[in-house]
Amino acid sequence: MSTTRDLLQRRVGPGVVVALSRISWPARLGAGLRRATGRRGRVELFFAFDDPCSAIALTELSGRLASRRVALVLRPVLERGIPGDPAVPQKRRYAIEDASRLARRAGLELGRSDPLPPQDARFVAEWAASAPQGPSLERFCLAATGSLWLERGAAIDRDRLATLWREQFGQDPAPADGPAALARNERLMKRRGPYDVPAAWVHGRWYFAHDRPAQICEWLDQLGWRAS
Amino acid sequence: MTAGARVDFFFSFRSPYSYLAGPRAFALPERFDIELRFRGVIPMVMRGQSVPREKGLHTLRDVAREARRLGLPFGRIHDPLGEGAMRCLRVSEHAVDVGRERDFVLGASRAIWGEAVDVAADGGLRPICERAGLSWAGCLAALADPAMLERVEANTAALAGLGHWGVPVFAFGEELFWGQDRIEDLETALLDAGLGRSG
Repeated sequence: MSTTRDLLQRRVGPGVVVALSRISWPARLGAGLRRATGRRGRVELFFAFDDPCSAIALTELSGRLASRRVALVLRPVLERGIPGDPAVPQKRRYAIEDASRLARRAGLELGRSDPLPPQDARFVAEWAASAPQGPSLERFCLAATGSLWLERGAAIDRDRLATLWREQFGQDPAPADGPAALARNERLMKRRGPYDVPAAWVHGRWYFAHDRPAQICEWLDQLGWRAS
Repeated sequence: MTAGARVDFFFSFRSPYSYLAGPRAFALPERFDIELRFRGVIPMVMRGQSVPREKGLHTLRDVAREARRLGLPFGRIHDPLGEGAMRCLRVSEHAVDVGRERDFVLGASRAIWGEAVDVAADGGLRPICERAGLSWAGCLAALADPAMLERVEANTAALAGLGHWGVPVFAFGEELFWGQDRIEDLETALLDAGLGRSG
């Protein structure tokens, strides 16, 4: 016999979550107001340089958003995942296999076959977290994730990444507030809801960006930011 | 063409992504020369793995969007965690024995995720079993049979033995495919292996 509490937990709660998720008018209204005031749409991508699926998601989203009046806001993070998750090593290893398949779908080939320790990528995450948003940052992140995941190499090459940085920003990377900027991104990701990367926050909804690039674009279509 | 290839389909009745994968998974043998082996596993939370609130919320929202895209009913839910999931797992082993696993698994998961049926109660489970072509007497015997539980536990151990944590998972040879949205990659692998059915 089901108790009231049991019914609330098993039936009412999940049903309410699903029903609320189908309400889209506030996002549509907000999007209409943004367009009316000449502002672009926004896709905020929380990603990690040490994550191969982030590299695929970044490449995919950058390409898909290029023909829309939508800004790709890049938020690198380092800390993510489910606290105390015992499957982290298996997930990191599987992410490479998974990203290889996603790369294949996109006509790319993954160059790395072993996980990167997240801490090894901290410096580049701090550089990118402290940089101003815009085309230079997007080009740098694309080049850096491409260098890390689509080219063959054993370790992270800091000099190579610094060269890529100088090509975009015209100066050496010297982020004074890198650790703080990275921590801000991680706090923002938690506030938005995603618990892992790559995650795209798109006007009130979030998606795993490597799994749902087409759905992200469908949502942008619904909000009125269609491809030109 | 390689004959007799097998794809293991690791599934949980408590996983809405398993529900989304079900119809396409069971349709695979129609297009590929494979044996699809259903392997029901104990829900992650009942295996001591934590699922944070954020993950639970995201899963429901994401599955709602994907179910709509796939044309599957979703949203009238009765979470089967605990007895409901275990009863479905035991009956699914019986369904495997009599060749009715496709009907039972698809029917039960649809009832759980799209029709808010309480499968922990006989009144909820029995019509699902009978619609799947299973005799209720046979299902009651399966529910009382320790061997059925042992098979479920063996499936769960096999998934862990593969180094995997979640479902749905498809195992084809040495390759694992995790997620309802990786079925297309599995299909690519099956085609690459020469297992596509012509015509």
